Amino acid sequence: MRDMKKLTTAKQKIVHQQIEMKNKIGSIQFEAHWFRRVFHTFAASFLIYYMLPDEPWITTLKTGFAVGVVFFVFILEYLRIKGKIRSSDFFGLRKYEEKRPASYLYFGVAILILLVFFPQQIAIPCILCACFSDPIIGEIRHRYGKKEAYIIGFLICMFFFLITWHTVDMSIMFFVSIFGASAAVIGEAKKFWLIDDDFMIQILPAVILLILWQGFLFGGINILPAELILPI
Amino acid sequence: MRKETEYLKKEGTNKKLLRAELLFAPPLIIAPVLVSVFFINDWFVRGFSTGISDYNGEILLAIIILSGNILFDIPFIKSLKTLSRK
Repeated sequence: MRDMKKLTTAKQKIVHQQIEMKNKIGSIQFEAHWFRRVFHTFAASFLIYYMLPDEPWITTLKTGFAVGVVFFVFILEYLRIKGKIRSSDFFGLRKYEEKRPASYLYFGVAILILLVFFPQQIAIPCILCACFSDPIIGEIRHRYGKKEAYIIGFLICMFFFLITWHTVDMSIMFFVSIFGASAAVIGEAKKFWLIDDDFMIQILPAVILLILWQGFLFGGINILPAELILPI
Repeated sequence: MRKETEYLKKEGTNKKLLRAELLFAPPLIIAPVLVSVFFINDWFVRGFSTGISDYNGEILLAIIILSGNILFDIPFIKSLKTLSRK
């Protein structure tokens, strides 16, 4: 009888420990989840890049700084993948990112490409899509399902394109916004092992808009609106 | 098919986790607010007070950055508080 009682308490202890462990792991996942979301929204701060003066030496400085930051992250990721730094030391890293570059590197590279090589009228909505649409799509997909997430995601992306292109003709504004938002949602929805969606959600709409812009320009029409951010 | 929500488990304790989060939390929260304030200020000084509508884009961006960040900062701070209590 006494042995049975001991056994029950031992079993209870194990169950209790298991529940505690589960809660701990759950809380870690929860932390990482919000941490990653906030990292996304924080990246919108990089739009300050366009506010800095256009003088040659400042342009060199700000471009150099952006390249430097991405290069630093690149080295960090190289060392991590090579095993010189432990992957477990990186907070919020997902399992599938253990053997490939983490999504923040893709995110950084995409932002760098947009800031340096694309006009801000194309870059800004694409960056906003990655900063806000991506985490919102993630949250809605997590709570309600994929279909709802992509519909709302599309509307949010479209809103960003409409805001940026609001000064052009109405038909062009909607044309560009629908194309841009569709490309952003496709970039987010289509999952590749090597190319992260954080990269695709920015670059895919940017490339499509660049082609559209150049296509129209070839026909003698400049559809690009006025700049949204004017340098100081 | 990769599992989206699975994270690498930390070998350390909650203390280590908390330290990592606390280290990053202030810039993650403050920087977007500062950038938004900067945009609003620029819109007000160069645009609104001089009656030039070219700067209206900056106020729109400031509102998007500010509201988008607040939307995600609140659950982040809440989760941080929960973790620090454990």
